[in-house]
Amino acid sequence: MWFWIVAALLTLGASLAILLPMLRARGPRAAAGAYDIEVYRDQLAEVDRDAGRGLIRPAEADEARAEIGRRIVRVGRAESATGPAAASRSGRLLASVAVLAVPLVSWSLYGVLGSPDLPPEPLSARLAKNPANSTIDELVARAERHLAAVPSDVRGWDVLAPIYVRMNRFADAANAYSTAIRLAGSTAQREAGLGEALAAEQGGMVSADAEAAFRKALALDPKDAKARFFLATAEAQEGRSDEAARSWQAMLDDLPQDSPWRGAAEEALAALTGKPPAPAAAGPAPGPTQDQVAAASSMSAGDRAQMIEAMVARLDGDLRKKPDDPEGWRRLVRSYMVLGRKTDAEDALKRGVAALGADSAAAKELDRFAASLGLTRTE
Amino acid sequence: MVETGHFALVLAFAMALVQSVVPIAGARTGDERLMAIGTPAAVTGFLLTALSFAALVTAYVQSDFSVANVWENSHSLQPLIYKITGTWGNHEGSMLLWVLILTLFGCLVALFGGNLPPTLKATVLSVQGWIGAAFFLFILATSNPFVRLNPAPIEGRELNPVLQDLGLAIHPPLLYLGYVGFSISFSFAVAALIEGRIDAAWARWVRPWTLLAWLCLTGGISMGSYWAYYELGWGGFWFWDPVENASFMPWLAGTALLHSAIVMEKRSALKIWTILLAILTFSFSLLGTFLVRSGVLTSVHAFATDPSRGIFILCILTLFIGGSFALFAFRAQTLAAGGLFHPISREGALVLNNLFLTTAAATVLVGTLYPLVIEALTRDRISVGAPFFELTFVPVMVPLLLAVPFGPMLAWKRGDLYAAGQRLFAAFSLALLAGIGVLLFIDRTAVFAALGIGLAAWLLLGAATDLVLRSGIGSVPAHVVWRRVVGLPRSVFGTALAHMGLGLTLLGIVSVNTFQGEKIVAMNPGDNIAVSGYALHFEGMKAAEGPNYSENRGVFDVTAPDGRSLGTISSAKRFFPARQMPTTESGIRTFGLGQLYVSLGDPDASGAMVVRAWWKPLVVLIWMGGVVMMLGAAVSLLDRRLRVGAPSRRRKPVPKLADSSS
Repeated sequence: MWFWIVAALLTLGASLAILLPMLRARGPRAAAGAYDIEVYRDQLAEVDRDAGRGLIRPAEADEARAEIGRRIVRVGRAESATGPAAASRSGRLLASVAVLAVPLVSWSLYGVLGSPDLPPEPLSARLAKNPANSTIDELVARAERHLAAVPSDVRGWDVLAPIYVRMNRFADAANAYSTAIRLAGSTAQREAGLGEALAAEQGGMVSADAEAAFRKALALDPKDAKARFFLATAEAQEGRSDEAARSWQAMLDDLPQDSPWRGAAEEALAALTGKPPAPAAAGPAPGPTQDQVAAASSMSAGDRAQMIEAMVARLDGDLRKKPDDPEGWRRLVRSYMVLGRKTDAEDALKRGVAALGADSAAAKELDRFAASLGLTRTE
Repeated sequence: MVETGHFALVLAFAMALVQSVVPIAGARTGDERLMAIGTPAAVTGFLLTALSFAALVTAYVQSDFSVANVWENSHSLQPLIYKITGTWGNHEGSMLLWVLILTLFGCLVALFGGNLPPTLKATVLSVQGWIGAAFFLFILATSNPFVRLNPAPIEGRELNPVLQDLGLAIHPPLLYLGYVGFSISFSFAVAALIEGRIDAAWARWVRPWTLLAWLCLTGGISMGSYWAYYELGWGGFWFWDPVENASFMPWLAGTALLHSAIVMEKRSALKIWTILLAILTFSFSLLGTFLVRSGVLTSVHAFATDPSRGIFILCILTLFIGGSFALFAFRAQTLAAGGLFHPISREGALVLNNLFLTTAAATVLVGTLYPLVIEALTRDRISVGAPFFELTFVPVMVPLLLAVPFGPMLAWKRGDLYAAGQRLFAAFSLALLAGIGVLLFIDRTAVFAALGIGLAAWLLLGAATDLVLRSGIGSVPAHVVWRRVVGLPRSVFGTALAHMGLGLTLLGIVSVNTFQGEKIVAMNPGDNIAVSGYALHFEGMKAAEGPNYSENRGVFDVTAPDGRSLGTISSAKRFFPARQMPTTESGIRTFGLGQLYVSLGDPDASGAMVVRAWWKPLVVLIWMGGVVMMLGAAVSLLDRRLRVGAPSRRRKPVPKLADSSS
């Protein structure tokens, strides 16, 4: 609203600036030659000054005066030839067109080019506003500022790292994982996350660094699904297909039914054994969400809890708009459970099953998943 | 605020359109009220552009990443000063600065042009309006800095680290003030051609405006040279890089214009030539803008490139340069030619100056465009570097520099070369002694150094001789000298200072090129090297964190040739994570007029740091000379004769010439 008022005032001012000279009464006008004479008079004064100070000799001064005098005479002669010009009707027309052109040109051009509805977004204001209204980017930036101020906050790094992976900021993710490891030591989760970030940074190639990280993760927790999956991938990438196939098969054999890594392993195995490749899994597997929320469960600091709440609220909102997303519902239910909001979790489960179609396979899957978290659907 | 700025920019374009049509229509039909519209249109246009620029600066300061231009060129962690300078550290913002300065000059003509005949003023403002409208359209059509992003990213991509320097605060604004300042003389020239007559006020106006533009351009080039010197880490101050040449050509043509404008003002001669030079100078400015902004040349100045921009600027270039030269061809013969003069006279000397300067500009033009033409025709990339310019530019400049001290000694109309020579005898002898001194006491083989230093001394002493003779030192009593010095026109001091500045710059260039000491060695902590007597002891590398970079700083202890400790000098390798880009901060310490320059290379295979160290004797003079030239221009600008009053509107002026009708 303010913008339109300001724009209107600016236009008004600009138009008036053009209009006013047209309305002003015409004063007597100096002859064109008068301006030349003024210059020559000044030149004469200068010659006098120079002569007075002895900078030029009297003879030179006389000669200069004579020359300027001749110029003045020439002006007088030219002037008598020119008469005063009359104002015309077409002039008034042109001026009116000009005054109208200012608002017409500016408003129509701005209409094409401008974005009047977009408010300015100074960074400090974006970071200060209520987290519930913030975008993920803004929340992350806020967390980054917090970590820049308190770089020893391990839980902050733990929370941020998997989010970076989801945002495809793999270098930042690797850095966050390494920082957490440096500050608080290795855990299977951190090492596997680091390996994943490093691999993703290389476009999915499991480099030596990434492999080392996965091995550390496996040493800490031999059951870590992510590390097992990527180590098998490394074997496949090195051309040791049989070993890779064995590793994936072993994963399928002993992973729990609800493990999100089952699907990935099945697809990888299928691709390896020559069956038509299934559509590539989007991004680096669904694992990060779980890590992320698991990490969130371990924290309590006020503003970061708020941050997670906001993220969950966003996910909830997204699902209301676009409910056909079994994976999203699983994440939501799990998130509410982790946050300790059991009623919300039950509600989400109910809504999810309804949205996916009560008898569909996806709904049954969601029910099973909820059961594994200790949640049953109350009819 | 952002959208207000965008709207103000569009409105400024509308005002430029009005300004390009209405005043000139008034001037052609003799309608005073239409002509009067020029003044408020120019002033309002400037105010709107300033508002628009202020809005963009605000967006940068507030890190408003919803503006695409801010997102591309800023970062929330950048220090405030670089957020501000980042506004013009990119294509869109720098074009906005360009039109801001253009409208500023238009506004100044509107406000201070009361002493101009109304038709001339109206026509000049319209021509300014044409240039403005063309560039506003260019900005809105291809380079709009106010394009928005929705949703807004949370972090920007950061300003190019090489540009994160105080140099960016000074170099582009000064350079643009120079480039665009020449648009005034251009507009006056085109207006004179359209009107078919050259008013006396024309001659008075062109010189101060050219002087102002020249002052800024000199500063801009000097600053750019110093910036390249300390930022690029190679210790060079001039590379004959096409972008440098692009700013140097208008300087050469502008210097010629400055001198021919003196003749026009004082003697009403060389009018048509001055008009041609004014067109030529601004054409070089436009060409410079085209070369740098179109992406024809890739360099740190080109920022992002986009072919549509290049074609658009090429169209503007063709329109204005082609149009003004065509106008010149049609109308020049209708202009009255000016007064006559003897070949040996001040006028003659200034014509000589003009010939040499335009030839020099032509050699630079050839050296700059030739590789581009070759590349366009044959796809071969060639580079024309220092050797070409040393063989072409230098031989043109040396006779010019030899002639410089004679110019101010010659009288107007008829000069006496022999008398001037006599008066310069002392200066010549001393310069010769300086050259011989170099040969005898410093280096018996350095013939070029001796000649160059002799030439520099000749320029300095020649300029001083002029002041000494005019003030009468040695021939009249002291109190008379003082009275004379105070009474001298400021332009005399301006001339002397500008010519001395030239001498100082030459002295610096010759001295650095012939006597500098250079060492390139791989060093481990604890190692020592000596360069031109200065001993450097490598202390080691120190890591540190800056606001938006991390750095590794190599620290050296410096010992003077006489054994005194001079503290430390340090050079750093910086890394900017947002752009994933390394830069080198060279270490510079000034001792007297020379500088010790240290720059870190990369570690070699064994882990030792490659260190480049130079001792650059008198190097400071190169830029000090530029500052002295600027000072000369400033002093000259204050000259009394440049203030011409406007005729009173009521008085019917009748020339009364009692003593000059002879």
